[in-house]
Amino acid sequence: MNSGMITRRQMLTRSGVGMGLLGLTQLLGDARLLAAEPKLINPLAPKAPHFTPKAKRVIHIFANGGPSQVDTFDPKPILNKYHGKPLPVTNLRTERKTGAAFGSPFKFQKYGQSGIEVSELFSHTAKHIDDICVLRSLHADVPNHEPSFLLMNTGESRLVRPSFGSWVTYGLGTENQNLPAFVSMCPGGMPLMESQNWQSAFLPGIYQGTYINTKDVNPEKLVEHIRNKFSSSSDQRKQLDLLQKLNRQHQEIRQSDVQLEARIQSFELAFRMQTEATDAFDIRKETRETIDSYGKTDQGRSLLIARRLVERGVRFVQVSHAPVQPWDSHDDIEINHRRLAGEIDRGIAALISDLKRLGLFDSTLILWGGEFGRTPVVELPQAGSNAGKVNGRDHNHWGFSVWLAGGGVKGGQIIGATDEFGFKAVEKPIHVHDLHATMLHLLGFDHEKFTYRYAGRDFRLTDVHGKVVNEVLA
Amino acid sequence: MRFVFAPILIIISLPAYAAEKPSAAQLDFFEKSVRPVFHDYCVRCHGERKQEAGLRLDSVAGILKGTDMGAIIVAGDPAKSPLIKSVRREGDYPMPPDKALTKEKLEALVQWVQSGAAMPVGAQQQAENPAKNHWAFQPVKKPTIKAPENVNPIDYFIASQLQKEGLKLAPMVDRRTLIRRASFDLIGLPPTYEETESFANDPDPNAYAKLIDRLLAKPQYGERWARHWMDVARYADTKGYVFTEDRNYPYAYTYREYLIRAFNEDKPYGRFVLEQLAADKLKDIKQPDLAAMGFLTVGRRFSNNIHDIIDDRIDLVGRGLMGLSIGCARCHDHKFDPVPIADYYSLYGVFQNSFEPKELPLIGEQERTAEVAKFEAELARKEKAAADYEQKMYADALAPFRKADSIAAMLLATVATEGFENARADKWAVDRKLDPRILDRWRKAVRGHDDVFGVWRELVKVPQSEFEQRVKTIVNSVKINNSIKTHLLQSRPKNRDELAKAYAEVLSIATVASLEKKSTDWKQLESLMVGPEGITNPPKADADKLVAIAVKRVFRILRNDAAKFRSSAPASPPRAMVMNDNARVSEPVVFLRGNPNNRGQRIPRRMPEVVAGAERKAFTNGSGRLELAHSIINPENPLTARVIVNRVWMWHFGQALVRTPSDFGLRSEMPTHPELLDWLASTFVMDDGWSMKKLHRRIMLSSTYQQSSQADATTATKDPENRLWSRFNRQRLDFEQFRDSLLFTAGQLDAKEIGGRSVNLFTEPYRKRRAVYGFVDRQNLPGTFRAFDFASPEQHTPQRFQTTVPQQALFLMNSPFVIDQAKATANRTSGEPYERIDSLYQAILGRLPTTNERNLSIEFVKSSNDSAEGLTKWDQLAQILMLSNEFAFVD
Repeated sequence: MNSGMITRRQMLTRSGVGMGLLGLTQLLGDARLLAAEPKLINPLAPKAPHFTPKAKRVIHIFANGGPSQVDTFDPKPILNKYHGKPLPVTNLRTERKTGAAFGSPFKFQKYGQSGIEVSELFSHTAKHIDDICVLRSLHADVPNHEPSFLLMNTGESRLVRPSFGSWVTYGLGTENQNLPAFVSMCPGGMPLMESQNWQSAFLPGIYQGTYINTKDVNPEKLVEHIRNKFSSSSDQRKQLDLLQKLNRQHQEIRQSDVQLEARIQSFELAFRMQTEATDAFDIRKETRETIDSYGKTDQGRSLLIARRLVERGVRFVQVSHAPVQPWDSHDDIEINHRRLAGEIDRGIAALISDLKRLGLFDSTLILWGGEFGRTPVVELPQAGSNAGKVNGRDHNHWGFSVWLAGGGVKGGQIIGATDEFGFKAVEKPIHVHDLHATMLHLLGFDHEKFTYRYAGRDFRLTDVHGKVVNEVLA
Repeated sequence: MRFVFAPILIIISLPAYAAEKPSAAQLDFFEKSVRPVFHDYCVRCHGERKQEAGLRLDSVAGILKGTDMGAIIVAGDPAKSPLIKSVRREGDYPMPPDKALTKEKLEALVQWVQSGAAMPVGAQQQAENPAKNHWAFQPVKKPTIKAPENVNPIDYFIASQLQKEGLKLAPMVDRRTLIRRASFDLIGLPPTYEETESFANDPDPNAYAKLIDRLLAKPQYGERWARHWMDVARYADTKGYVFTEDRNYPYAYTYREYLIRAFNEDKPYGRFVLEQLAADKLKDIKQPDLAAMGFLTVGRRFSNNIHDIIDDRIDLVGRGLMGLSIGCARCHDHKFDPVPIADYYSLYGVFQNSFEPKELPLIGEQERTAEVAKFEAELARKEKAAADYEQKMYADALAPFRKADSIAAMLLATVATEGFENARADKWAVDRKLDPRILDRWRKAVRGHDDVFGVWRELVKVPQSEFEQRVKTIVNSVKINNSIKTHLLQSRPKNRDELAKAYAEVLSIATVASLEKKSTDWKQLESLMVGPEGITNPPKADADKLVAIAVKRVFRILRNDAAKFRSSAPASPPRAMVMNDNARVSEPVVFLRGNPNNRGQRIPRRMPEVVAGAERKAFTNGSGRLELAHSIINPENPLTARVIVNRVWMWHFGQALVRTPSDFGLRSEMPTHPELLDWLASTFVMDDGWSMKKLHRRIMLSSTYQQSSQADATTATKDPENRLWSRFNRQRLDFEQFRDSLLFTAGQLDAKEIGGRSVNLFTEPYRKRRAVYGFVDRQNLPGTFRAFDFASPEQHTPQRFQTTVPQQALFLMNSPFVIDQAKATANRTSGEPYERIDSLYQAILGRLPTTNERNLSIEFVKSSNDSAEGLTKWDQLAQILMLSNEFAFVD
């Protein structure tokens, strides 16, 4: 598909009609036309990927700011032995100066059949460990937030490129035309890099993520212009009835122009969306018990909304923890990581349980992780950078953990390893590009063939990199 | 002949060793024993898909070319051949990386190189050069027209093609539709009912030509067409993400004002391009036209990464002005088009040697009103407050390190940590509550500066018992800074601690500005301590880390306060976002694989070979921007004129002749009518002197433009995509046209003031200025802009997308802005229901209703109620008409 260079036929067929698809097909009445470019009828119509996928939708639980691997999913008891003493090896270079080994203040324990060790921070999540595939050998390019956010979310650290969610909705469309295809949530404000994390860049704007501030519980504030504040629903219906009558008359003498039909349908869609979208975002419709099971936090609420959305066919949901970079514990990692994990651990466990109960778990791909991890050694005091308490960790792009679960993922296993201190990925190193390639594979795409022509070049999420990590696949 | 061979087609200058024709046996050896090794072990990373280090081993040309660093084979000398070194796993690049070749395979390679590295070279040279014949790289030639003089040339090209397909132009459209079409097209607004009727009934056969002239003379023409160009120029009012810096471009609006003026004055396109790239270099430039250079400077700032900023500018100039995707050559030669990586860095050099002055030039006549004076005083106060605070902030943070006790402690620490690795020294320092960063600087300093620290280094080795007596001898025996010498001799330190104290006293004094420091000795010490690289003057990034977070926050507030005041105060005078040439010009180097740390050959600044030919000259005038601009508008440049007339055609017809308007390269589509494109391009440059208004007239006066948009059954079948232009394209209003029409219909549009600062379009109370003045926040583009396919300000936009999504309908149904306009429109009507309905139709759709429509409306108002929320039934009817397809489309 070319960008910007839309042929008239494409322009016509691209007009986004969801429920009006049937009418449109009849209207076009030209089988050849449909066969030629079936994908373009509606930019958000469900589309088939390269091969039959295991996962049909994605929930990205983004621990923005960089959670520490040695305090969560990559236990290194040896650090406690060296605690306060320099490591026998030189510290790798990270953003700031670091000092002695820093043993994890958290207890680890084995969970499930697989006996994978998880720290007390994620004791609820760990109950599902046999369905979780822990990747302990992720690595990124630099120890700075800005480029690493972009790398994790768009596959490119600096330049403006479409986000992962935009690629997925471009490739798969969405299953519910009454809701945004790609939703990015963050309670209280936007994560660092703001809308660049869910940008569509050179893909059509319709593939851009819709940002939702989940601090607000009122669904009417979550989707722009979703509520008609000026008349009753029946009055508005009456307006639309006359509008459509006039539009039909206008259309009749203009033969079957698809653009006109598309616009007619879009009003019907919008009218239905007012009810459906409001409903989807309204967690007040859940039982008290369910709400409680997600933990009564902003993060739990986000995950509950995420579940309601994927249940209704939304393709890609991203849940960032809180504004900017909350997991960035340069100081007081014990207090801060405990608080942060406490805000989301129950929610993750409840989300997985709910998806299983609803039969959606096997077709929903869940990614948990930050943009990088943290150093196994302590960060040294710097007046301008931290509070000088010498009880936090610096950024670490050399090695960190993320986990995948759900659609097509072989759970109960650990892939890769960091060195003996948890600093650097040494066994089966997995670059962020490899993670993307693997996730696209689970969604049915050959990441090297999933391209978009722009400015004379075929762009990919993985650029010229990426290798599928086959061990992940069930 | 300006055509050059494409670099992708590498024509090899044969190395001397291959000059002799290889024997059949040699070639056989290559095919059987060498090529299979490359194929099995190397091409995964050095082949068609990946070219690690720029190397391809799947073609003879690739093998001969070698890596980015140079040749890999020295024929006849395996030991000197990097290829052999690598497979022998000697040197920096052991290959293949995971496992060595078997001895047998390795020996085959050695033998091959030893015997002259024969390959079937001849075959390569005969390869075709696709770029050579590519249509867009051929000179523009004015085609001959074999038709009577009174036939419009555009119609001639279109009609003759249609005739071949057994088709003809669609009938002329009626005058009511025509005035609506022309009006939206040129000024972005509908005609009023009265204008429509008077045009429809005008008996003058030249009424249409006069209408076009009238529309072109309106200042709203400039507003409409400036916006088209703003899509090309990726206009925005903000920089995107730049850490904690203020994100606004306070003067971006002056670039928009320039564009509006340029279109209204019909500035010749050549001159327009020249000014946007190099207004600062033009002797006859008028001060306000300096704002033209916003073209280069309103792009994204990529966290202030200079390489990405330059890349954005190269992309803009390449695709925006010449339809050439030069940006593809940032990391390697362009894979499809004849743009080698060196041409990218030639242009990189132009922008690398240009800078944006800190204080942008004032433009326009400045009236020295009391308000302006007050603004300037206030701004100066705010900026001074920020600057003073910043200075004091760093001075305060660094002051403790310049005190004698700190200096003494640091000096002693350098001895205690001698021989430590940095990490260990850091830890040592932290444990003792010393700043590791500053200690690091001391540790480095005491190792050098012999005439200051030489004595120190000697004396700290001396045992305590001999200390006192050795001071004098050592001090007198070496070359030493006199201020130090005097003080050491006076203070007579008895041990290392006292020595440190003595040093510290002198060095601390040297950091204080008020002391007499006339002697070179004092100056030396001052520079050593607090000079640009001084021990206690760490780089800003480090010093920044010594400042408490709370203090920094105050500074940020002060700095951003000044920046905001500058950008938002009404009396803030306009400035031009210019670039200037660097005082010292340096030639660029190629960054191999796009990596600035991987520097390749040095190259001159000059035009890409594909447009300027192999004989192109290097730029010599400053940065070369002016020469670049001249070369772009050179009538012999095959791309510039074709690209702009194609864009103008697209903005009129909703679709372009070349359907990839910013890519005229090898992968572009052929023009639907190549001769027409060339006729337009050559007439535009040679006959019309790059006049946009003349181009509009030529296009709009053609029958092709005045056709009906109705397709009959034959044309719909034979020309489904309208590539033959067998009818006009029905076009949906874009966001700006739609929004402005709502305001216009409601009698609310503020159309008088032309120019001015950007306004937020989406917050209440709603601004009534035209949408072209809407504030564009690049980082977080407002949702309504996005929902309506507004041009992405990220990069240059070749053509807007057109989607129809329910978010658009939601805005129209529920946004207070649309409701306001419906109410205002309904309020303009009065009288009996029939009269009101007629007036509503006239105001909104520019016509009277049919009987049937009138009856439907009557029925609606009779059966409807005013809503409890204050929307009367008349408001509701007005909204319906404003939401109709008739309102939203131009036939």
